[in-house]
Amino acid sequence: MTLAYDFQWSFIWDNHSLILDALVRTLEISLIAIAGASVIGIVLGAARAARIPVVSQLTAVYVEVIRNTPILVQIFFVFFALPQIGITLPQFTAAWFCLMIWGGAFNVENFRAGFEAVPHEYREAGLALGFSRLGTFFYVTLPIGGRIALPSSINTYSSVLKNSAIVGPAVAYGELTHTSFRILEATGRTFEIFLVLGVVYLVLVWSLSALIRLLEARLALPKEVR
Amino acid sequence: MLAFIPSWVEPVATYMFKEGLKLTVQIAAVAVAGSAVVGIVLGTLLTIRWWPLRSVIRLYVEIWRGLPIIVTIFLIFFALPVLGIQLDAWLAAAIGLALWGSAQVAEATRGAVASIPREQHEAAAALGFGWVGRHVFVIVPQAARRLLPPLVSLLVNVIQNTTLALLIGVGEVLATGQRETETLQAPPPISVGDAHALAIYGAVAVVFFVISFPLTRLAALLERRLATA
Repeated sequence: MTLAYDFQWSFIWDNHSLILDALVRTLEISLIAIAGASVIGIVLGAARAARIPVVSQLTAVYVEVIRNTPILVQIFFVFFALPQIGITLPQFTAAWFCLMIWGGAFNVENFRAGFEAVPHEYREAGLALGFSRLGTFFYVTLPIGGRIALPSSINTYSSVLKNSAIVGPAVAYGELTHTSFRILEATGRTFEIFLVLGVVYLVLVWSLSALIRLLEARLALPKEVR
Repeated sequence: MLAFIPSWVEPVATYMFKEGLKLTVQIAAVAVAGSAVVGIVLGTLLTIRWWPLRSVIRLYVEIWRGLPIIVTIFLIFFALPVLGIQLDAWLAAAIGLALWGSAQVAEATRGAVASIPREQHEAAAALGFGWVGRHVFVIVPQAARRLLPPLVSLLVNVIQNTTLALLIGVGEVLATGQRETETLQAPPPISVGDAHALAIYGAVAVVFFVISFPLTRLAALLERRLATA
C-alpha cells in the first residue's frame, strides 16, 4: 500500500500553543465539574443512604433521569432549550455545568453504595460514643464509605474528562476536541491532528487510572476496619 | 389526532420516528452485535497465558476504553479516509461504538471465563474437546450467565451514545429533532418563527428514558439474581 499522504509532524510544533491552551480549557471544565460532582455525590449520596424523606426521592429521580438519557441530549436541553424560558448560559458555564450534573448523578450512586457498605455497627458505635448524627457521618461513615467509593468515583471522573470531548464540539467551547476542528480547518492536517488528540486523551485517562491504583494502595482501609 | 396537540407536532414527530429513530436503531444494532462478538472472542483469548497475545489484546482494550468514544468516531470518520478508507457516517459511528463496546465486553468476558472452575476445563478436556471446542461448548456458555448484566448495561450505553453520530452529521433521532427545531424557528417567510426546542429536546429525552430505564432496571435485577444465586 502506498500512502498518498505526506505526514507533516512539524505541524504539532506550529500549533503547540493552541493545543496547550485547549488542553488547559479541557482540564479547567473537567476539574470544575469533578469538584462539583464530588460535592453532589457526597451530599446527595449521604441523603440517599440515610433515606432522608423527600430529598432521597428527589435525588433518585435526578439520578435516573441523568443516567437514562444521553449526555448529548442533556447538553442540547441546557444549551439550546433552556434559552427558550430565559435561561441562557455562556458556553464555558454550560460546558462545566452539563459535565457536573452528569458526573454528579453517577457519583451519587458511587457514594450511596460506599456509605451503605459501612457496617451499621460502626455508625451505632459512633452514636453510642456521643457523636451527633452529623458527627457520626463526618468521623465514621465518610472516612470509611468514602474510601470504599473512591475507585468507582475516580472512574466516573475519568468519564467526565472523556465527556468533555462531547460538550466542547456540541456548544462550540474551545477545549481540545473543538479546537482540533479549528486547527483542522486552518491546516487541513486531518490525520495528524486526530492522532495527537487521541494520544493526549489516552495520556490523560491512563494517568487518571494509574492514580486510582496509587490511591487505592495508599487509602486502603486498615485491616481492623474491614 | 387529539385536538389539544398543536398542529406542528405531527409532521415533526413522524419525521423523527421514521427517519431519525430508524438510524438510531440501525447504529445501535450493528454496534451491539459487533461489541458482543468481538468482545467475547477477545475476552476469552485474554484468559490464555501466552503473554504476547495477551498484551496485544490488553492494548486494544486499554486504547478503546481510554479514548472518548467521540474521538474514536472522529478518527474513523475523518482520519481513516486519509489511508483510503472512507466509510458512511452511520457506519463510522457504529464501528466507533463497537470498538469501545468490544473493549468493555472483553474485560467482562475475561472475568466471567476466569470464574469457571478448573474442573470444567479438565472434564471437557477429558471428554476429548480441544481448546476451541472446550471454550465454545463448555466454558463460555457457563460464563454467559455472568455476562448477561454487563451486556444489558452495554446495550443501554450504546443506545444512548448513538446520539454522538449527530456530531458527524448522521440524521439520527436527536439530529432530526435539531433540524426540526431549527426549521420551526426560522423567521416567517420560511416558517413560523416559533421556538419549540424545549418540547422537542424534552421529547427526545423522554424517548431515550423510556427505552433505557427498563433496561437499567433489568441489568440491576440480573445483577442481584447473580449475587444471590
